[in-house]
Amino acid sequence: MTGLAIQPWGNYSLALAASVECLRVTPWTQRATTPESLRLGVEASPEFACLSFKACTGHFIKASMEGVKYGVMVNSRGTCRLRYYREMQQKILKERGLDMYIFGLGYDGFKPPLIRYFDPDLIPFLKCCARAQQKTLTIDTLEREAWRVRAIECCPGDTTRVLNEALTDLDRARTVPQIRAFARGIKQRFEQVPLQHDRPPLRVGLLGEATLLRDRYLNHNLEEILGGLGVEVRNFFLLGDEMRTIFRIGLFSPNSRWRLKRLARPYLRHLVGGHAMDSVAHTLRCAREGYDGVIHVGPAGCMPEVGVRPILRRISRDMNFPVLECSFDEHTSHVGMVTRLEAFVDVLRQRQSRR
Amino acid sequence: MNKPHYYLGIDVGSISVNLVLTGPADEVIFEDYRRVDGHPLHATQAALGALRERIPDAGAIGGVGVTGSGRHLAGAALGADVVKNEISAHACAAVRLHPETRTVFEIGGQDSKVTIVRDRVVVDFAMNLICAAGTGSFLDSQAKRLNISIENLSAQAVKSRQPTGIAGRCTVFAESDMIHKQQTGHRQDDIVMGLCLAMARNFLSNVCVGKEILPPIVFQGGVSANLGMRRAFEEILQCELIIPRYNMVMGAYGAALLAKRAAPATSRFRGYAVCDHAIETRAFTCRDCSNDCEIIEIIDNRSVIGRSGGRCRKWESTPDRPQ
Repeated sequence: MTGLAIQPWGNYSLALAASVECLRVTPWTQRATTPESLRLGVEASPEFACLSFKACTGHFIKASMEGVKYGVMVNSRGTCRLRYYREMQQKILKERGLDMYIFGLGYDGFKPPLIRYFDPDLIPFLKCCARAQQKTLTIDTLEREAWRVRAIECCPGDTTRVLNEALTDLDRARTVPQIRAFARGIKQRFEQVPLQHDRPPLRVGLLGEATLLRDRYLNHNLEEILGGLGVEVRNFFLLGDEMRTIFRIGLFSPNSRWRLKRLARPYLRHLVGGHAMDSVAHTLRCAREGYDGVIHVGPAGCMPEVGVRPILRRISRDMNFPVLECSFDEHTSHVGMVTRLEAFVDVLRQRQSRR
Repeated sequence: MNKPHYYLGIDVGSISVNLVLTGPADEVIFEDYRRVDGHPLHATQAALGALRERIPDAGAIGGVGVTGSGRHLAGAALGADVVKNEISAHACAAVRLHPETRTVFEIGGQDSKVTIVRDRVVVDFAMNLICAAGTGSFLDSQAKRLNISIENLSAQAVKSRQPTGIAGRCTVFAESDMIHKQQTGHRQDDIVMGLCLAMARNFLSNVCVGKEILPPIVFQGGVSANLGMRRAFEEILQCELIIPRYNMVMGAYGAALLAKRAAPATSRFRGYAVCDHAIETRAFTCRDCSNDCEIIEIIDNRSVIGRSGGRCRKWESTPDRPQ
């Protein structure tokens, strides 16, 4: 069967892999960038391309080296330089003598090119979409549960272990009823983790660029580090929520584009690409909803995210709300990152004890 | 009852290891500053050995705090009660000595930080990212290129009357600019002061960007010993800097204060015997996920006393986890 490399998107890679099964291809993906694929990507990419580009390019190169012939990559309009990334990656692969065709997910007619090429039958296709959607929502639930439990676990690492086991099981689920049954058991799974309640967890929002938020290798296991410091994170990139936004479902849900636009309006009136407006809106929301702080992550040189940083600083000053900015690239030192996060959590704890 | 009232603080940094012993009134009884020279553990052991000669009774030490980028390694080797990041440790020390402070500049060997303090509480901080142009290493390497010692650089800089403008963005460009200035006949003390000014400007425009820098400003860390840097900051900011009494060892002092604040009932300090042990490290790669972290095990007398290097923290937390 033909292989199809899917852009890595953290744990959601599982759901994305499920979504292409009806195309009669074998999905090839990774749940996080590996050191090897990042190295390949860094070698092949222009130096000032963002970390997400390098990681993704490396992912496709690795896939191609393993004999995968097709790839699929988001290249929708209204984002950032991401719009050209498919073209760039295609060129890079060609220059390196690798034979892989990368489909874009954008529309250039009635059907996306990927669907047109593989032309699946309608019924299996719809079933497959339903399955992928269900998996995405289930992963959302898993993530949310992990954030909550990790902040109060007794022994660091337990939550991550349970989460990983759960994801492996979820990967095996084949039908929508199976996935639903799995979803009902999620609470029970996390109940295995011994908890301690001697310090109230801090609540911190993670926002910024999507790949960095989702890829635990690229963000240096941000969620785990913060969890270990007793922080209940809320990562504002959940693919389930995002899909609703993309397909314009739930116009009035708190994450709809319309709502976010209205929220960000006092500070930002225009779309500036990527998830930059979301970052502004979510920062304001966190400040109002009584979060202890937010951490804004993005690859170094990410135009939309770097562009809104002055706005975030302004919000931080206006609302007396702590914002930590973290930029990542392949040279980011892990020790430096941990030091920053620990110091940030110290600041938040001091504020908490003063209230 | 002989209650221990000394607290030990150690800052294992990139360039130096600092050790401080504080007395009952938070005064520094003993301090030791030595260069790491590639062996943070050996340097720590040596510093501890120097302390033993002064205070032979380890029982007098009520608690140990470690900080600095090598804190996890040293903390495991020594048996620390508090392992704290250097930003909090430095701020704690600055606030203890100068409660009125509102800004703390800390410039060390490989990183530089600004900490914003309001009402004795840290409210914001920033740290240099991937550029070393605003740190002690930058001055170190420029001094080497001028073939003068770092102490000399400091003494020369204050003599300058007409500081030379030098591009301080990165060491490579600073060097070419410096050579050019030498060739056009600028005096060395002017060039050296120009370097300090460039570095101070770099620090203010990169690290302090968007931060509200208000006096009183405390300046500490290894670079605060440099008179040229003090002058540079004072000229640019137009205000006097406070150089705290223990400016070179503030991280260690802060760690000692934090150890005292934590007030452990019984310290986990493993005693002076640690300086005589041959503490070794061993590395292996964890294959539990795709990160492939290299885990460093710290071994004392054939038993693992600590681990570091993992990204997910599970190894650090369980030193007794079987392999």
